[in-house]
Amino acid sequence: MSNKIKNIVVTVCFCLFILFFSVIAVVKPPTKVSESERRPLAQFPESITLESVFDKSAIEQFESYTVDQFPLREAFRTLKAYFHLDVLRIKENNGLAVKNGYIAAIINDFNDEVIDYSLGRLRYVSETYLKDNKGNKYFALVPDKNYYLAEDYGYPSPDYKGLKNKITDMFTDFEYIDLTDTLCLEAYYKTDTHWSQDKIISAANKLLSSMGVDEVKPESYTLNSINDFKGVYYLQSALYPQPDTLYYLTNDTINSYTVYDYETQNEIPVYSKELFESKDGYNFFLGGTKALLRIDNPKATTDKELIIFRDSFTSSIAPLLAESYKSVYLVDIRYVMPDIVREYIDPADKDVLFMYSSLILNQKSLK
Amino acid sequence: MIFSSISFLFYFLPIVLILYFAVPFKLKNLVLLLSSLFFYFYGEPIYGFLMIGTILSAYIHGLLIDKFKGKAVGKFFLCTSVIIPLVSLCFFKYADFFISNINIIFGGNFDLLKLALPIGISFYTFQALSYTIDVYRNEVAVQKNLLNLATYIALFPQLIAGPIVRYADIEAELRERTHSFENFSYGVNRFIIGLAKKVLIADSLGTLSMLLHDGDASVVGYWVYSIAVSLQLYFDFSGYSDMAIGLGRIFGFHFLENFNYPFVSKSIGEFWRRWHISLGRWFRDYLYIPLGGNRVKIPRFIFNTALVWLCTGFWHGADWTFILWGLYFAIFLIIEKFFLNKVLKKLPAFLTHFYVCLVVMLSFVLFSSNGLENAVNDFKCLFGAGDLPLFTSETGYYLLSYSVILVMALVGSTPLIKSVVLSLKRREILNKIINVLEPIIQLSLLAVITAYMVDGSFSPFLYFRF
Repeated sequence: MSNKIKNIVVTVCFCLFILFFSVIAVVKPPTKVSESERRPLAQFPESITLESVFDKSAIEQFESYTVDQFPLREAFRTLKAYFHLDVLRIKENNGLAVKNGYIAAIINDFNDEVIDYSLGRLRYVSETYLKDNKGNKYFALVPDKNYYLAEDYGYPSPDYKGLKNKITDMFTDFEYIDLTDTLCLEAYYKTDTHWSQDKIISAANKLLSSMGVDEVKPESYTLNSINDFKGVYYLQSALYPQPDTLYYLTNDTINSYTVYDYETQNEIPVYSKELFESKDGYNFFLGGTKALLRIDNPKATTDKELIIFRDSFTSSIAPLLAESYKSVYLVDIRYVMPDIVREYIDPADKDVLFMYSSLILNQKSLK
Repeated sequence: MIFSSISFLFYFLPIVLILYFAVPFKLKNLVLLLSSLFFYFYGEPIYGFLMIGTILSAYIHGLLIDKFKGKAVGKFFLCTSVIIPLVSLCFFKYADFFISNINIIFGGNFDLLKLALPIGISFYTFQALSYTIDVYRNEVAVQKNLLNLATYIALFPQLIAGPIVRYADIEAELRERTHSFENFSYGVNRFIIGLAKKVLIADSLGTLSMLLHDGDASVVGYWVYSIAVSLQLYFDFSGYSDMAIGLGRIFGFHFLENFNYPFVSKSIGEFWRRWHISLGRWFRDYLYIPLGGNRVKIPRFIFNTALVWLCTGFWHGADWTFILWGLYFAIFLIIEKFFLNKVLKKLPAFLTHFYVCLVVMLSFVLFSSNGLENAVNDFKCLFGAGDLPLFTSETGYYLLSYSVILVMALVGSTPLIKSVVLSLKRREILNKIINVLEPIIQLSLLAVITAYMVDGSFSPFLYFRF
């Protein structure tokens, strides 16, 4: 190609590229929500006034609009992700790293202020709601996937040891149950933050044995599966990896459970295929985000009861733990104020387990 | 509005290009001026009036200086043409620096004004000053057409982050310039290269710098930080200059180069002839030479050099770190002038490069520090007095993670790629192959850059604060 023709080709290509996308950007109907980021997308400023121009709010909104509503946004996000990870070889994209297909958020440090806040809220529960409780109290920390990514693959990881020390210092009346040696990277979903139920039987047994009750028998379970589980990182990473398979365990005991939802005052299923089809497939376990639940085990050979203050990780392990209790109460203080829990559940002499993932403790979400 | 934004590339630029190339030549400057004013008002709705004031001041003063040329009143108007924009610059950029120092020295309790710095004020002020001074010196003819002068000062490609284009350099092109596929194609190429330098390299290096500086730091990490932050500044600023030069060429203007591979320099003097060339040229022509330059006695030369570099440092920011940064270079330039240049000429090239890179890297650590206290701490960390481990696993992780970017930046900061391409292009057949590849590479880069802009968050240019 001669220089002259090249100059024409470059000019035409550049103009066509920017004109094509600018025209599409203008005529394309705006998208309301980003499924991948689970957030509403910025819209064109509703009213542009002199005030909103001079205080720059209209301009800032327009800037967000141009980025959020850009044509083929998800395709461009994918292009960026692959270029970042595979061409520039930067080990993480938007804070997410991929190793052997496992996608994990890379966190350098816990936010001390937020951790103190979260532990402070749990301390408050302990000092108020559990003031007269005569049962045993336990605390278990669920490490994020990045804990195992760091250990085996040299990624940075926050100070889990420091977090454990902080918990044991603050909760001296609790027995700390260390789950780290019962888990590994493969215990988690590749595309989701959570752990896979079929890989946490040893974690469940560690909890049960530490709490002085019978362990579950792995051989008693039937392994069931649902394909095409697209976890929270599936779209967020923009890499569209192979979806996970969601495994779940059943046996006669689990099949006999009744699960009572205090909020709706209805019974709900332990596992819900209907909820698997919702935005968050992990809602399959115990109905997803629920403030107060009670699992009753009619086949229990004990009168022991357990209250778990928990986050979503508990949803998949609770059916295993419930085998060794008459009733297990699940309290999620992200959705219910701790002060009103007593109206529904009397702690009396029930055993209590605080089980939280480091992810949740590192977010300011507990009430 | 910044060049590396969706709003600029896919909203503003297409409209301006269509309007500009649709109107006859006599209206092209009007299109450029109106689009430049929109460009500035979009980012600075209030301070846009300040820029218009600077333009009017330069225009009126140019006419008055020309009218009273050779008379005392002409000199008076020259003084006011310099003082008015400088007072405005000092007020908006340096007021809080002076107030806080007065409070410290005299124990005062004056409230800080906390004014937002008008974007690009240092650049357009210096352009306006160069015009009136050049009119006074008879180096350029007075511009009686307000539209042309306003277009020169407000021209959006170089308005907010340079290069500092001298009026004399584009005076003729404001009246008459050619538009061609050759110019457009060259402009597109430079613009995309600049975008890539900014979006792909400088921003990544910025992330690396932040991680090494603010994370679990180590001595080795701090040294890598000093390399990363130096390269980040280079790719950020030279990337912006490339974009400005490219956009200027699309519209038919030939702006002078602002960077010429400064990291290959063999002395600090050479470094400053290759780094931010337009600023160095401005201070040389309007301050250093009027002070007597180097054709003076030694004490006066030292004074001139120190003053020029104090001003150069202060121009970059209202903080003692910037003043020290300028004086730091003054010291090296004076030492080089009196004896080091002779030594450097005898040393092997790798040692002189090492000397320049080390001096420059340390300077950019000072430059990037957030205040004197942090600067002292940064230097302590660099030299092992910061109570840091020599190396951490985190440093190793980030070094490995960003190794491709670092290598790309190191190679890209030398003329190696340019030399290879130019030498290949000398052979006709290879030139034809490169001509086929060029649009493909450009479009691919543009798509990747767009992907980064769509995915990324707002990332302002570092030089916007100057």
